[in-house]
Amino acid sequence: MPSLPQNKVGIVACSGEELPEGTVTRLAALKVLEELRPSETVTICLPLFLAGGEGDRAFARFYPTIAVDGCEKRCAARATELYSNKPAASLLVDDIVAARCLERPRGLRSLSTDSAPLVDAVAEAIAAEVDQLMAARWSRREGTPLEVESIAAPAVSTAACACGSGVPVTTVQIEGRSIQIMALEPILEMAYEQGVRPLPSGDSRETPHARIMDTVRLYNTIPIEEAPLYAAAVAQAWLSYCAGKEASHG
Amino acid sequence: MQPVGNGQAKIVVVPCSGIGKTYGTVTREAAYIVVEELAPETTCIVPLSLLVLGDEEAQAAVRGVPVVTLDGCKLACATVNVGEAGGHVAREFTVLDCYRRNRQCKPKGIAELNEGGQALAQALAEEVVQAVAEIFETRQD
Repeated sequence: MPSLPQNKVGIVACSGEELPEGTVTRLAALKVLEELRPSETVTICLPLFLAGGEGDRAFARFYPTIAVDGCEKRCAARATELYSNKPAASLLVDDIVAARCLERPRGLRSLSTDSAPLVDAVAEAIAAEVDQLMAARWSRREGTPLEVESIAAPAVSTAACACGSGVPVTTVQIEGRSIQIMALEPILEMAYEQGVRPLPSGDSRETPHARIMDTVRLYNTIPIEEAPLYAAAVAQAWLSYCAGKEASHG
Repeated sequence: MQPVGNGQAKIVVVPCSGIGKTYGTVTREAAYIVVEELAPETTCIVPLSLLVLGDEEAQAAVRGVPVVTLDGCKLACATVNVGEAGGHVAREFTVLDCYRRNRQCKPKGIAELNEGGQALAQALAEEVVQAVAEIFETRQD
């Protein structure tokens, strides 16, 4: 049985090639990923947002992201918001240079050695944001922090069926309703293992979750009038599942 | 659009700079080798992040000039994004293809490439420079 997606924070670095600050964002993001917070973070490829990386978009839609930018154009923050969801935090290298009274970075292909403290400072700032976001409860349905009073129900959760059959039942919170769907998680797992992935938005082919719905109907009786709600719930659970998979793949 | 000595615009190099895998770093390193060492007079980099955002200046920079793209994976972010920006991709390179031609250069590392990765980036850069020369020859015809 698949496990529920683990909470992760996505880091989107601009990686701009034209400015030393772009290289700083890249190295700082990798330092967080590889050294400071390897279990809590994934990196997200910014260009994939436009090139059809639906998994990356879905992740950023449902999980908190930190955008790290090298200049005021803020490519990482703005592109993340444009194609997916508003980043939970947005860092600018210039701000950290000013706040810590550090030297401006030099070098493109290889940063000068005196730029190392800045890379460390940016990495520390990212890690601090990661800690804050991991401590907060996050709505994967809305892609926003949960208000204290609404923490009770996660958007997608799975438990064993009360009938004792062992068939898992997934509860999806959608449009203020709790929709319970039997065997949804193994169905999603099977679809994922068969190579089914969310299609880029705007693709006119049959959507993957429509195919998954056919299997869902085998295990669940869906009232005709509630079919759109169930379809939306399955679509939400599917995107959340895929985002979790992407996160675990790093 | 930056002109070179003979009045022709510089050829634009766009690496994917993917952050998740070694091959992304190889594209970035190769692009820097091209524009900083091997062909600084005839090539320049346009940052892919600006193209993703739809920055007008970056989009203008890839329109009307030959663009060489360097991609680290089959999703071909650099090639796709240049196309989306209205640019003409004259030549596209993938690290995997280059690695197949240079099996002795096994890349490792993302923040910092190992020796094999550096060698692979150099090999890719040399292929790009060869392509740039061919593009210039064609344009001069």
